[in-house]
Amino acid sequence: MEDKILNEKESLELISKMIQNSQQKIKAGNGVTFLIFGYTTLLVSVVVYYLLKTTHNQLYNLVWLGIPVIGFTLLYLFRKDKPKYNKTYIDRVISNVWLVVGSGVFFVSFAAGFVRIPVLAVLILLLGIATTITGLVIKFKPVVIGGVLGMLSFILPFILLGYEQVLAYGICVFIMMVIPGHILNYKRGKKNV
Amino acid sequence: MFKELNPLLHSELRLAIMSILISVEEADFLFIKEKTGATGGNISVQLEKLSAAGYLKIEKGFLGKRTRTACRITSEGTDAFAEYVEAIKSYLEKKA
Repeated sequence: MEDKILNEKESLELISKMIQNSQQKIKAGNGVTFLIFGYTTLLVSVVVYYLLKTTHNQLYNLVWLGIPVIGFTLLYLFRKDKPKYNKTYIDRVISNVWLVVGSGVFFVSFAAGFVRIPVLAVLILLLGIATTITGLVIKFKPVVIGGVLGMLSFILPFILLGYEQVLAYGICVFIMMVIPGHILNYKRGKKNV
Repeated sequence: MFKELNPLLHSELRLAIMSILISVEEADFLFIKEKTGATGGNISVQLEKLSAAGYLKIEKGFLGKRTRTACRITSEGTDAFAEYVEAIKSYLEKKA
């Protein structure tokens, strides 16, 4: 492409071609964030479950902090060498939804250290809402279904008493994020070949 | 009377850059290069011109070890682009 002057028709054609070209599809690899946090949550919840069950020491709840620590480290390592070329409005919507919900998750988790609240139920509901919105924005049904299942499972911590709800939480996050994450990577990966 | 075409936008590469930026939130230098097929040097010159006119904002930073140049359109840029498209429309209507 040169620095040449165009006629009106060429100008319009160029504009529409460029706009079309930059509206790229959701790329393969978008399921990675779901996979990282889904697997990390499952792993951490199993560890927390085991520690609480065997020791009954509530201080082991601090192990939950492993989710942001491991999750964000893995995310950083994964993205480090993959510069993102462009950012669409969809990217901005999704990152803001997760920023707001993520802040809510941190606030609720922090507050749970001081007041008695059904923390796991609130968290799964928040994460389910964000996952459902993400699925709707990227127009991908498995993510929507995962998110709705997540939202519905907020009831589990009320039904299951005792430490089993910790394990149930990990399994719910797994169903909500890991399964749709794999489907997303698989399907979108195939389309981009 | 024809509306005057903005000379800053009425050039192939600058118009292509603005069209890309109007449709995304932010575009990397490499993305613009890939979509326009122009040389890096030429793109740099045109980005400077558009940025000097206040049509776009250029942010230089680092991503890992690589330098990263991210561009985003400003509200002045969006207005200028809309005016340009209006002007083109008036030309085409006149011809029809």
